Amino acid sequence: MVLSGLRRRSPRLWGVLGLTLVCLAAGVLALAHGGRPARAASDGLPHTTVEVSPGRCGRGWDHPVSGVQVFEMHNTSDGPAEVYLEEPRSQAVYGELEDIGPGTTRPLTVRLGRGAYAFKCVPDDADAVTGPTVHITTGSSGPAAAPVTEHDLIPPALAYQKWVGGGLDQVVRLTTRLRAAIDRGDLAGARAAWLPAHLEYERLGAAYDAFGDADAEINGTDAGLPGGVHDKDFTGFHRVEYGLWHGQSATELRAPAAGLVKALTTLRDTWAQARMDPAQLGLRAHEILENTVQFELTGRTDYGSGTNLATARANLDGTRQVLSRLRPLLATRYADLPRLDAESAIAQDTLDGFRHGDAWTPLKRLTRTQRESVDAVLDDLVERLASVATLCDPRRTV
Amino acid sequence: MSTAERKGAVARRGFLRGAALAGAGLAAGGAAAPITATAAATPTVAPFHGPHQQSVLAAPRRVSAFTAFDVTAENRAELTDLLRTLTDRARFLATGGTPEPVGITGPPADSGILGDELPSRALAITVGVGAALFDDRFGLGKLRPRRLTPMPSFPDDDLQMDWCHGDLSLQLHADDTDTVLHALRDIARHTRGGMQVRWRLDGFSSPPRPSGTPRNLLGFKDGTANPDATDAREMNGLVWVGRGMGEPDWAVGGSYQVVRLIRMLVEFWDRVSLSEQERMFGRARESGAPLDGDAEHDTPDYADDPKGDVIPLDAHIRLANPRTTATAGQRILRRAYNYDRGMDSNGNLDMGLLFCCYQQDLARQFETVQKRLAGEPLTDYIKPFGGGYFFALPGVRDASDWYGRALLT
Repeated sequence: MVLSGLRRRSPRLWGVLGLTLVCLAAGVLALAHGGRPARAASDGLPHTTVEVSPGRCGRGWDHPVSGVQVFEMHNTSDGPAEVYLEEPRSQAVYGELEDIGPGTTRPLTVRLGRGAYAFKCVPDDADAVTGPTVHITTGSSGPAAAPVTEHDLIPPALAYQKWVGGGLDQVVRLTTRLRAAIDRGDLAGARAAWLPAHLEYERLGAAYDAFGDADAEINGTDAGLPGGVHDKDFTGFHRVEYGLWHGQSATELRAPAAGLVKALTTLRDTWAQARMDPAQLGLRAHEILENTVQFELTGRTDYGSGTNLATARANLDGTRQVLSRLRPLLATRYADLPRLDAESAIAQDTLDGFRHGDAWTPLKRLTRTQRESVDAVLDDLVERLASVATLCDPRRTV
Repeated sequence: MSTAERKGAVARRGFLRGAALAGAGLAAGGAAAPITATAAATPTVAPFHGPHQQSVLAAPRRVSAFTAFDVTAENRAELTDLLRTLTDRARFLATGGTPEPVGITGPPADSGILGDELPSRALAITVGVGAALFDDRFGLGKLRPRRLTPMPSFPDDDLQMDWCHGDLSLQLHADDTDTVLHALRDIARHTRGGMQVRWRLDGFSSPPRPSGTPRNLLGFKDGTANPDATDAREMNGLVWVGRGMGEPDWAVGGSYQVVRLIRMLVEFWDRVSLSEQERMFGRARESGAPLDGDAEHDTPDYADDPKGDVIPLDAHIRLANPRTTATAGQRILRRAYNYDRGMDSNGNLDMGLLFCCYQQDLARQFETVQKRLAGEPLTDYIKPFGGGYFFALPGVRDASDWYGRALLT
């Protein structure tokens, strides 16, 4: 797996600048109509202008209607703010806008039905304020979920980090075995030892942003290297894999194997001091398998061992490890969790079908039907896991 | 559609991401509550609901994507889920409106490439099924449309299996590329667990140059002699499967769809003299008129030219449609597009014809014509490499109907 840090949080400054321009016109329009009943716009939806500010949070929502509608959220304060539309008692969130710049207006589209609602304004530099409760008497609302806070994510992040630490011990142990086989010139033994060591590392894939640059050294490909597979900076598992499956001698492989053990040992030793950002946990649950789809199911990371499906299976294990720590948070928030679990089990069965003892069917030997079934089940999983990431994005509630 | 219905739909269709993600969306017309107040000023495609897929008859729009899928759903219940999800998406994409908001429970329901609101009736969608769907996976063998087989390899073909056949066919066409790609992306997103793309070829229809029927990439007007798609009687006689034709009941209202991916060897073609080109087609390149006429829509008089002195006996138009009473029932409804897919391995342009046609009976119509065309002079300049036979399903009649309902229930 290439651990390149697929996703970064939204570039905030960029977003604010871009939206300021877009929303100038909307802002003028919104001010002119503030406080009036919901009105139909060119999109055919009711639009209501609502204030975002510590003193007047939620003001302007005087004529509630049910159905799909747009709130023009106008930040009248002098600092950026976030806003949530929530059910005041359960605090389940129906919609949110992050980083509304001072003086700007941004649309929030939601479906509202029978129930009680309030806007919560969360200024960047002050406590959250909840606006007046508004009641709607007909219809059904769109999906909502209680926000997950950073506080909620700390215990699962710590538990996960501890699990990763134990896994790193195993990786070091298995990789030392791989190096020993190479050192004694036993290339068949080295080929047999390579896979367990690599899979143990792939199981930890979830921690990739926390591993930082170490991962490029441990598990990078030759992408971006001027000399390709012969580049001196091509290192790690895939460098050793390339040599073991392309007829290189034990002598040639000694240095790459020793370098791999050293990098892993360093990572293990520094891991105890590292602190994983709890906000990363939900993203990891989703993105481990995004990497799998991108790099394993395409064969991009195959340097001769033909074990992409084994890696995919290890990545699935890694995903489930993250999910198991998030489960208490997801159980009440993710209505489709049972389906996700079922699809995850199907993915496991599908991938296990390509295991024959210690050997795995290489990707290129799959029939079209087999390949489509693997693609279908993992594509389906990443679609479902995307919701885990959005639900577990930590939100400020106070 | 009421929210209660939508919630029911979510539970029932849970196996596909689609329903869980976005429900059916908010359709702007049809059976759902109208959200869009005004219809677009540009000519719209036919309404989505009806006894036939009206997209079959629709004149080709400027941009098309033709995609064949293999179904990965494992049983009949999952296939049903797939077709219902496909229907929900198609209905919403064709009808337009605002995608259902999902709040913090997922990424946005829509890719946003068409803005916040989808246009109404800007997209035509045609869904078909291939013979492969009637194998032993879903227990549908006895319900196979009687004339539906895998597309055979014809004598002048050079088929590549990666570009042939499929369980399902999906044809999208619209006047803008973004509309087509938006729809393809939406449908793929909602059906990933149930089907995978087997092959896809994008096509385009050229504007009239300077008037009349659009030209193909050999420079000739293509489709001049089509039957009149606005003539219901003619369509009932040539395109739609009706009762009493020996077809299963569920298939009534559908149509056989033939897709042929035909590379044109355009460099070679451009080295051929104009008179030879015109004799191969039987038409004048500039006007599109038959070689014995003055204007594009003049009817060739083969009886007056029995030896082929004016229009050679092996000219394409003469073989394809001999204009006799006996061959009138063999006519097909051509719905062809041009395609362009870059270069081949030795630096020649890879472009040609995404041929598509509809008919009531594959053997009586397409295959009879195809056999007559075997060995025609034009075959030196074209190379059919893919495609398939499909059966365009009967139409989705209303908000509660779905593609293949009569087949699966």
